[in-house]
Parts: sequence; C-alpha cells; structure tokens
Amino acid sequence: MKAAHFEHHEPTTVDEAVSLLDSLDEPTILAGGQSLVPMMRFRLAQPATVVDLNRVESLDYLEESDGSLRIGALARHVDVEHSELIADRYGAFADAAPLVADPQIRNRGTVVGSVAQSDPKGDWATVVLAHEGEVVARGPDGERTIPADDFFLLPYDNLLDESELITELRVPVPGEREGSAYHKLKRKVGDYAMVGAGARVALDDDGAIADATVALTAVDITNVSVPEAADELVGETPSGDVFKRAGEAAAEASNPESDEHGGAAYKRNMVRVLTQRALVDAVERAGGD
Amino acid sequence: MTEKTITLTINGSERELDVEPRLLLVHAIREDLDLTGTHIGCDTGNCGACTVYMDGQAIKSCLLFAAQADGSEITTVEGMADHADAGRGKSDLHPIQEGFREMHGLQCGYCTPGMIMASKALLDANSDPSEGEIREGISGNLCRCTGYQNIVKSVQYAADVLNDREPPESPVEHEESATAAADGGTDCGSGCGCDAGFEAGGPDAPPAALDAPSRDPDGARDGGAEGGERR
Repeated sequence: MKAAHFEHHEPTTVDEAVSLLDSLDEPTILAGGQSLVPMMRFRLAQPATVVDLNRVESLDYLEESDGSLRIGALARHVDVEHSELIADRYGAFADAAPLVADPQIRNRGTVVGSVAQSDPKGDWATVVLAHEGEVVARGPDGERTIPADDFFLLPYDNLLDESELITELRVPVPGEREGSAYHKLKRKVGDYAMVGAGARVALDDDGAIADATVALTAVDITNVSVPEAADELVGETPSGDVFKRAGEAAAEASNPESDEHGGAAYKRNMVRVLTQRALVDAVERAGGD
Repeated sequence: MTEKTITLTINGSERELDVEPRLLLVHAIREDLDLTGTHIGCDTGNCGACTVYMDGQAIKSCLLFAAQADGSEITTVEGMADHADAGRGKSDLHPIQEGFREMHGLQCGYCTPGMIMASKALLDANSDPSEGEIREGISGNLCRCTGYQNIVKSVQYAADVLNDREPPESPVEHEESATAAADGGTDCGSGCGCDAGFEAGGPDAPPAALDAPSRDPDGARDGGAEGGERR
C-alpha cells in the first residue's frame, strides 16, 4: 500500500524546523523513519505534513561536553554501535546498539527517534532511564529539559508537545567507578525485546554500591525505571545475593502481559534473570569484583 | 499534491525524477528507473529484499521516501557487474555475484539481490569477516528457502577472491559434467534437470578453468584443494 498524500518539508536548521512545527497543521517529525515510514504506508499514520529532519546537519552528533554525553537527533543507531567513546564508558549503550533491529535499519534509524516513538518494547528508552538521562526538547517557546523518568506516559505517548522536537538526549558522564549494562531477550535476531533490563552502578572507595538504577523494557506500559530494585543495591557490597534480591525486586515491580511470545510469569522470571545479569556486567565494568 | 524533482546517481548514471513525496525509494527504483533487480518482499521492512547500497551503506529502500534520497549515490544489484571489483574472480561478475553462483547461494533467488547488497556493505566494512560476522551482516535479510548455509559460503567465497585467496571449488560442476540434457540444452550440473547454461561454463564460453590461472596457481593437482582449506 502507498502512504497517503502528504506535504514533505525539509528544513535545514532547527529554528526552521521548529517554526514549521508551529505553523503546520498536525505535523509529524521524520528522522530515521524506520518505524514511521512503514506506519505511513500501512496508513496507521496519515500525517498531512511531514517535517523531515534529515537535512538539519547541526543535529548529527554524538559527543561528550559540559559533563554530559549528548546524542543529537540525527545520530543513528550505527553511530552508537561504532563509537569508541560509547564502547569505553557507556556499557549499556554499547550493549544495546547491536541488538537494535538489523544492520540496514541501524544505518538509518536514530536513537532520539526511538525515544520519541516511545514504544515500550524499544531498547533506547531503557538505556537512557538506566543512565538517568534527560530529553532536551525545542519548541516555539524555547528549550526545556525533561528527565527521562518523567518523559514516557503511555505506549507511543510522551510529554512532547506537537510543536516540539527532541534536539538531543543527555546522559551524565559516568564517574571513574561507574558501569552499566543492558541485556535483552528476543525471539530472533533483529526483533523487539520480549524483556530487556538495563542497570547502572556506581561504586564508592570501599567498593560498596553508592548509586544504582535499574530500568526495564517491554514489561510495563512504558519503559520504566524500578527504584525498588535500586533500593536493594545502594549501600550494599556487590554480591550474588544482593543482585538476586534486586532481580527479585525488579520482577516484583514489573507488569508484563502474556502474549504470543510468552506468559506473564515467564517474562517476570526473565526480568529477574536479566536484571541480575545486567548488574553483574555493570559492576564488573565499574571496576568491582 | 506537489511533486519534487530529485536527482539520483544510480549505478553511476545521474537520473532526474519527478516524484510524489509519498513515493518510496524502492518504487522509484523499480517503476520509474525500471531497475527491477531490487525486489519487494515483505512490505514491512523485515525481509531485506529491497536492500540497496546508498552513500556507502546498506539500507532498506522500502523504508525511505524517494525524495529523501535526493542527491544520493545508489548502487543496486544491476550495478555490481560494473563495480571496480568485478572480474577479480574467474568471471566478469562481481566476486559476490560469482560467489552466489559458484556456491549455490540461491534457490528461488528472490532474496538474492538484497543478500548481495547487504554482503557488499559487509565486505566493504570488513573484507574478511568470520562466519559469525557474515551471519550478523545478513541478519536483516530473510531467505525463505532457508538457504543460509550456502549464502554464508557464497560470501566467504567472495571474501576469498577479494583477499586474493583461492576460493573453494564449486559444488556445482560446470563443463566437466556438461552433458546435453534430454531436450538438447546444457545440464547445469546441479542435478536439477534444468537446461540453464551458465555463461562462463556454457558450451560457447571459453573454458573458465583454462583461462584463469589463479584457479590453480601452482599448476599442481592438489593446489586448488589446498587453497580451498580456509576455515
């Protein structure tokens, strides 16, 4: 099926994009398009106007500055996958990148687009949540910064206004003794997550857990952070028992639904298992034992 | 609805097209440019049959509007035999194409153009991939005949050629066993009973093994077999 007719706008600056979003009737933002284009051709989405960001070169970056990792709206999955900066310090990002879809889709799809799409089965939102990141949005009234933990409302719905676009994601630069990891269960290569778990751990000088975040994919109405799991970790010396308690807390806090891929009880058990595995990797990367 | 005029450099030639914004790149390639080697398999972005090589990357041309490709450089399967690496094997084809032919990399052939373009992107980035890397490299492409073993071997064959190694002997016997099929055609050697002659191995073609000394560099009987031990 062909997509419904639409007007295609190709701004070259963020200001131009924002003013188009403000003036057009029900505009939709197109970045990587790896979800939007099939939705349009099946007419699940029929936007009258499309604001295509791909010619806004200033949004194509992946860098560390001012204490944050900054992922611009045109950074593709493949950019994260091949980044040395990511490989060195952002374990959960490095884990997730090659697990997103397939090579062709990673060449086009964007990290920011995945967060904006807010599909609870998407991986990046969980990784950003685990890193306690922020979403930076630009609209006609200027810029605002939204903590990722507040951003996701419902499947495919978030705090973004219609006239706003996400310019970048920000993640605090991790400390010396900090590590993160992401584990994903999927039925086959390239699939969405059945269950995903991201964990970030910071150790203090004595090797105890000073700070931790656990976040989950595909087991709630949005990607979620689970403070119940973090509570089991903070102040403790890393050990299998501690990870087990955190995994059980994450499983308890999750709300998976049975579907053709597996029952709720199975998915809940996978939350428990994947959370523990992510914690083991995160602590190892943080320099713990 | 306003049409846009776009310019694509496709297989080396510059083409100007007037497109509706909603026209997908794969439709522009197949229907406006008549390059029907690029296939449409699934309509959903899953199968990879529509994979083309655009600005140095493999992409799925059903997940991109043609207007978005304005100004880009695209190679489709039709352009492979004119690529700089074409002819490095024993035929005029690109080594990947030759690999698919020699190693039985296709059964029904529907996924083949996409597989070849995904393999090209893989080998451009990593000319000597491991089996695991090849499988990862073609993970965006589905073969519903499930002929993945031979597809992997085909890409390995191409990697051998591109790295100046002796590729393995083809399990497809060409003229050594070329006996006239019952209907007067040429046995393709695969035992399938068809009469499809291969250009390089067909009755009119020069004997490939004789004019391609790289097939047996030592001139020794075992040279080819030894070179064939790759992994």
